[in-house]
Amino acid sequence: MRPYPIRLGRLIAKAMLALAGFLAVFPLVWTALNALKNNVDIITRVPRLVFTPTLANISYILGRDSVLTGLYNSVVACGSAVLIGVALGLPAAYAVARYPNRFAGDIQFFVLSLRFLPPVAVAIPLMVIWLQVGLYDTLPALIVTYSLLTISVIMWLAIPAFQGVPKEIEEAAFVDGYGAYSVFWRIALPVAARSLAGAIAFSFVLVWNEFLIALMLSSSNAKTLPIVASELSQQGMNVPWGILNASVVLLSLPPLLFLGVLSGFLNSVFRQKKT
Amino acid sequence: MRRRSSLPVTFLVPTLAILLVLSMVPTLYAIVIALQNRELSAPGYSWVWFSNFADLFLDRRFLNAVWVSVKWEVVTVVATMAVAIGLGVLMFEVAAPRLRNIYCLLFIIPVLLPRVSAAFVWKFAYHPLYGIATYPYRLITGGLIFDPLSKASTALFAVASVDVWQWGLFFAVIVLKLLETLPPQPIEAARLDHAKRWQIHAYVTLPMLKAPLISLMFVKMIESLRSFDLIYVMTRGGPGVATETLDMYAFSQGFIESGKVSYASAMAVLMMIATVITFTFLWKRVQA
Repeated sequence: MRPYPIRLGRLIAKAMLALAGFLAVFPLVWTALNALKNNVDIITRVPRLVFTPTLANISYILGRDSVLTGLYNSVVACGSAVLIGVALGLPAAYAVARYPNRFAGDIQFFVLSLRFLPPVAVAIPLMVIWLQVGLYDTLPALIVTYSLLTISVIMWLAIPAFQGVPKEIEEAAFVDGYGAYSVFWRIALPVAARSLAGAIAFSFVLVWNEFLIALMLSSSNAKTLPIVASELSQQGMNVPWGILNASVVLLSLPPLLFLGVLSGFLNSVFRQKKT
Repeated sequence: MRRRSSLPVTFLVPTLAILLVLSMVPTLYAIVIALQNRELSAPGYSWVWFSNFADLFLDRRFLNAVWVSVKWEVVTVVATMAVAIGLGVLMFEVAAPRLRNIYCLLFIIPVLLPRVSAAFVWKFAYHPLYGIATYPYRLITGGLIFDPLSKASTALFAVASVDVWQWGLFFAVIVLKLLETLPPQPIEAARLDHAKRWQIHAYVTLPMLKAPLISLMFVKMIESLRSFDLIYVMTRGGPGVATETLDMYAFSQGFIESGKVSYASAMAVLMMIATVITFTFLWKRVQA
């Protein structure tokens, strides 16, 4: 028989975990519910769980030009930056992982150090530069800036992914007469695909969620969705809470789509460490 | 056995060249701008060398922003690590494998949210009259008002709580996975010696995980510097200057209040120097 206090301790521990799990998602569930409420049901002193749902907020959001433009800009800017990151970052990561040279450590540190740069420090000069070149407030400027982010993040995460590919498979392919490039294409890429998908999804989430650079590099045409969403809150005294909640939901959905990919990625990273 | 190939050169050189250009051009240009007196409204400028930097150290708002940034770093990093280790150990101890998977999924959700979304979710939750997070207080006190975001003493902590909500829960998942990779023998040995569960973790498992936990802390220190969006949406640096961090102040000097781009850039350059030196030093220590 276990002594009583230990069982009580376990019970408290389980309750704390359950509370943490509740705190993790409840604010979001509440936001999603508020997106379906009329303003009268949101602005209540006692939170209201039972209400007549309405789609007015969501259809308002989806019907606004500014939101649609923001959505379009976000998709194009993030999508292009991720594609550039894949095209440049994956091969570079493979070269670092498989063809070790004396700079490998320095290269990895350089790529990581790009993360230290305060975003303001990058955004201020870029704003001045893009203004001078005449590309301020355009998608190309945003894509180029975001590429710095996606290339470095994809490289950083893909190096260990390529290192995790068993060397024997690649050696066998060389023996079979494959060249270096086709080993990369036909062996390394497919074998590491799952981890690489995680790295790519991570870089997408990062640029989709990015705010400061987009805020400083756009004034009207190239605004991304986070900027548009943040502006909705500044519409005078009568804050349209239902609409605001709907826009938060819209903004949050794309990253959440990657939940499965990213948690699988985490699992594969730590399984590698175990072996 | 591998023959010499052109692959490393063709795969690495273009990418590194592009990364170098994309990072060095703005970095060097930030320094150039900081040495001038550019303003957004006026096209002309001249070289003023170090006077922007000299002005900064006489600017009380700047010194306040440095202090707020330091507080922000300490509060968010310490709280995130505490939450992560606490919840990670709890999951390891009392959750069955299936429940662990469910918790892991739930705990990853907040960190995936755009910070703008997280900030809105909690800004509304903290609303003194209608917020869900302030509701228990209204209920207990019979309708008294608690407004954490507009009181100077609580605003920083209220914003920091959102950051910890996002990162602490996510790091708890990583701590759990780290605990799962440990060999079971030392834990069983300690158990045979009748060590209590908290003792096993305090003296056996966590010391074994020292290196990865320090790396984790390092990552959080870097991420904590990117708190601009959270603060921008939730408080705009207010009330007063209670939550005005360095990037917030640089942004408002450069764009909102006066358009003093050079002055803002001088601030950004100082931040850049401080972070690069600190993190390079820490990184070498972590790697050693």
